[in-house]
Amino acid sequence: MRKKSLDNKIFLQYVSLVLPGMLIFTVGLIIPLFMAFRYSFTSWNGMTKEMPFVGLENYKKFFTDSYVRDAWAFTIKFTIWNTIIQNVFALLFAMALDSAVKAKKIYRTIFFIPCLISALITGFVWLRMYSNILPKFNELIGAHFNFLLFGSKETVLLGLLIANNWQWIGYWMLIYLAALQSVPLELYEAAKVDGASRWKQFIHVTLPMLAPAFTICIVGITTGSLKVYDLMVSSTGGGPGRASTSIIYLIYNTAIGGRQYGYGSAMSISLVVVLLIIAVIQVGILRKREVQA
Amino acid sequence: MKKKNSIDIIEKQKYTKETFIVQILITIAALFFIAPIGIIINYSFKTKKELYLNSPLALAESFNVNNYITAFKKLNLLVTFGNTVFYTAVSVAALVVLCGAAAWAIARCKGKFFKFAYVYFVVGILIPYQALFLPIYIIGYKLALTNTRIGIILMYVATGMSFGVFIMTSFMSTIPVELEEAARIDGCSLYRTYFSIVMPLLKPAMATLTIMLTFQIWNDYLMASLFVSGKKLKTLTVAMQSLFSQQASDYTTALAAIVISILPLAILFICLQKYFIKGMTVGAVKG
Repeated sequence: MRKKSLDNKIFLQYVSLVLPGMLIFTVGLIIPLFMAFRYSFTSWNGMTKEMPFVGLENYKKFFTDSYVRDAWAFTIKFTIWNTIIQNVFALLFAMALDSAVKAKKIYRTIFFIPCLISALITGFVWLRMYSNILPKFNELIGAHFNFLLFGSKETVLLGLLIANNWQWIGYWMLIYLAALQSVPLELYEAAKVDGASRWKQFIHVTLPMLAPAFTICIVGITTGSLKVYDLMVSSTGGGPGRASTSIIYLIYNTAIGGRQYGYGSAMSISLVVVLLIIAVIQVGILRKREVQA
Repeated sequence: MKKKNSIDIIEKQKYTKETFIVQILITIAALFFIAPIGIIINYSFKTKKELYLNSPLALAESFNVNNYITAFKKLNLLVTFGNTVFYTAVSVAALVVLCGAAAWAIARCKGKFFKFAYVYFVVGILIPYQALFLPIYIIGYKLALTNTRIGIILMYVATGMSFGVFIMTSFMSTIPVELEEAARIDGCSLYRTYFSIVMPLLKPAMATLTIMLTFQIWNDYLMASLFVSGKKLKTLTVAMQSLFSQQASDYTTALAAIVISILPLAILFICLQKYFIKGMTVGAVKG
């Protein structure tokens, strides 16, 4: 009997170690999720006491609102290109640094430095690069390249992709590099003894061993790109026109600028749902491959 | 099987012609990555006149710190820098202690509550706080936490818990149970065991978490712009935003401000690179 009460006491003490964090986490993140869910069924403007219930109106509005359609179109394009470019280059750079090249640590540091900079600053740096600094190179070499990538609707995506990839390739490269370096040398030696070519070694030894890194990088880049916002604040301001208005940017404009809290919340919920679905699908598919490998 | 250390780069192949080509290609790529940084630093020392007249490749004519002085004043640097350091340090310290405690309890106890707690925290990784800034702000407002130091710190703690518990729990298997049991037999309370036995053993994990969270919080813009807009409470990043939106002709000041804001992080990274890479690669390496 005494033992049981002692166990109970220890159990409660352990619980008390979890609770403070859980409380803050619940109030600061989980409750807001439910609040957004509730607001999304209202036409609340953020000021009044009453929140008129409108049912699924906000969600229905998505299908006719060209602002929402354009924001999703931009965000999805941005995400797909990022996922492709960042994975390919991060893996290529990692493989280059996993070979016999000299001065690897210097390269590693150089590629990584841009990740230390906040997205807000990255946006500003590239804005100045495109509009002030690079055009001066035209004068220098007498060429007429159009560096004003943020100036037109057609090139703004390219401009942002360059800025974003400049910032993040080094980060994912480090993950691939760590994974490549953890492949046991014996596996390559065994493959060589079996007469496997370099390409075969890559396909049958390297790639399967990289599976967990693929999962982390692909899910990380996709979900990160869908949440893009800071990058545009100091560079394009969502423009020209609405050409670079991401979904979070639109939520900000709708809720804070347009005082449509209800509608903005519906957008938030749709983004959360999309992110959850994509993460679950990607993790599901990629983990399955990891097991097979 | 022998395992290589995943952090140090080890040679395993001979330097061939192919390697030489790779070396050239990777150098070109590295130049693209380093060029903007070099340009920022160079331009941050240029005068306005140099900006218009000279070639973009020209080095700044003198070690002119005027831009830094202007940036220092315009950013209200002593205040904003102090705020950023304070918010980051307190949030990170709180997160490290809370995540460590939660992860330790989760790793040591088998009960349903702890299983639930782990899933509850880790699912949070998938919830983007950036998409929920609106209700987060409203809840902060209702609790009278907006425009207060404690408010922004609590929000950083709330949004950092998931990741912290995930990292800490994955490190927990490296902590031997025997020491804790010995401590308990000696009559050490659970809390004392955590602070005097477990936390010292968790140092590497804590260093990793500290550095990852520091970067995140130091660079945060969205939360800081919503929660601390008052002049005395602003962070460096938010103050910088107002510098960016000023007239475009005087961007050398902004570039000097950028150098000021990156410097502490760059130093931190170079000193703690090992822990940083370790934290990033949790789960990425098989076996």
